[in-house]
Amino acid sequence: MTDDPRQGGRVVPVYAVTGGRTRAGDHDLPIEAVVTATAADSGLDDLQPEYRAILDLAHNPVALVEVAAGLGVPIGVARVLVSDLAEAGHIAVHTPEYTDGPPPQVLARLLDGLRAR
Amino acid sequence: MACVPAELIPLKILVAGGFGVGKTTLVRAVSEIPPLLTEETMTAASEGVDDTAAVPDKRTTTVAMDFGRITVDDTLVVYLFGTPGQHRFWFMWDELARGCVGAVVLVDLRRIDDSFAAVDYFESRRVPFVIGVNDFPDTGVHDEEAVRDALALAADVPVVRMDARSADSGIRVLVTLVEHALARAEARRAPAYGAATPM
Repeated sequence: MTDDPRQGGRVVPVYAVTGGRTRAGDHDLPIEAVVTATAADSGLDDLQPEYRAILDLAHNPVALVEVAAGLGVPIGVARVLVSDLAEAGHIAVHTPEYTDGPPPQVLARLLDGLRAR
Repeated sequence: MACVPAELIPLKILVAGGFGVGKTTLVRAVSEIPPLLTEETMTAASEGVDDTAAVPDKRTTTVAMDFGRITVDDTLVVYLFGTPGQHRFWFMWDELARGCVGAVVLVDLRRIDDSFAAVDYFESRRVPFVIGVNDFPDTGVHDEEAVRDALALAADVPVVRMDARSADSGIRVLVTLVEHALARAEARRAPAYGAATPM
């Protein structure tokens, strides 16, 4: 599991950080969910390095998939870590959860934005 | 602390097609960040699907995936995902396709059939998609009808000739996709007056 050369340099397997969890509770954050660090700076010193790295990334809005790439971990692992931080109130999660695709007014704004490029 | 707009809306667009058709190239051309490679694992994504038989070698459980980003305005940001086109990666597509704007299916005229799996997938899940015929140097004349026939496309699916290396060309394809997705979303919302009335 950890013999992947791309994880070279990592001493502790990422699954140790997540406590072996690859699922983040009842409903999974979508891959494009954007997270932002909240202002609560207390208690951060006790956090594991992976959590602190996520908080650093999330000073600006960043998607779950970018967190995974930034930490060099699979998306499933990033999802667990991000969910932990959200539960602890350290980050806010922005996800529209469109099941049937975005509504017309959102698509119209997207269209305007793309045409202006 | 960064100032975060109240309404931040992440959107996603998929870029699909056969191996080597130009998915990474297109993501790179239109993305404002260097395309990043990430990976998804079967253990994370396939629980509940329980179909490891679809993966011939259980050790090959990670799938690399390109993604890029376009910040559209203050609150809209689009993530682009270049996804492997083979059937055995569909467990990943189900997550990617959920709630997406739509997909660009890239086609290489020399290997049209390679893109059929992607077309079939998006048709069956009612995901809006457009066909981007990637302009390789030796592909010859663009015969739209041949593409439509080979891929059994519905009449309303746009077919666009493009150059995956060009940002302008890539954005034009995305505009075509969003126009198509918007038309479908509006049609879905608006009751079709007269539809229940015999002509």
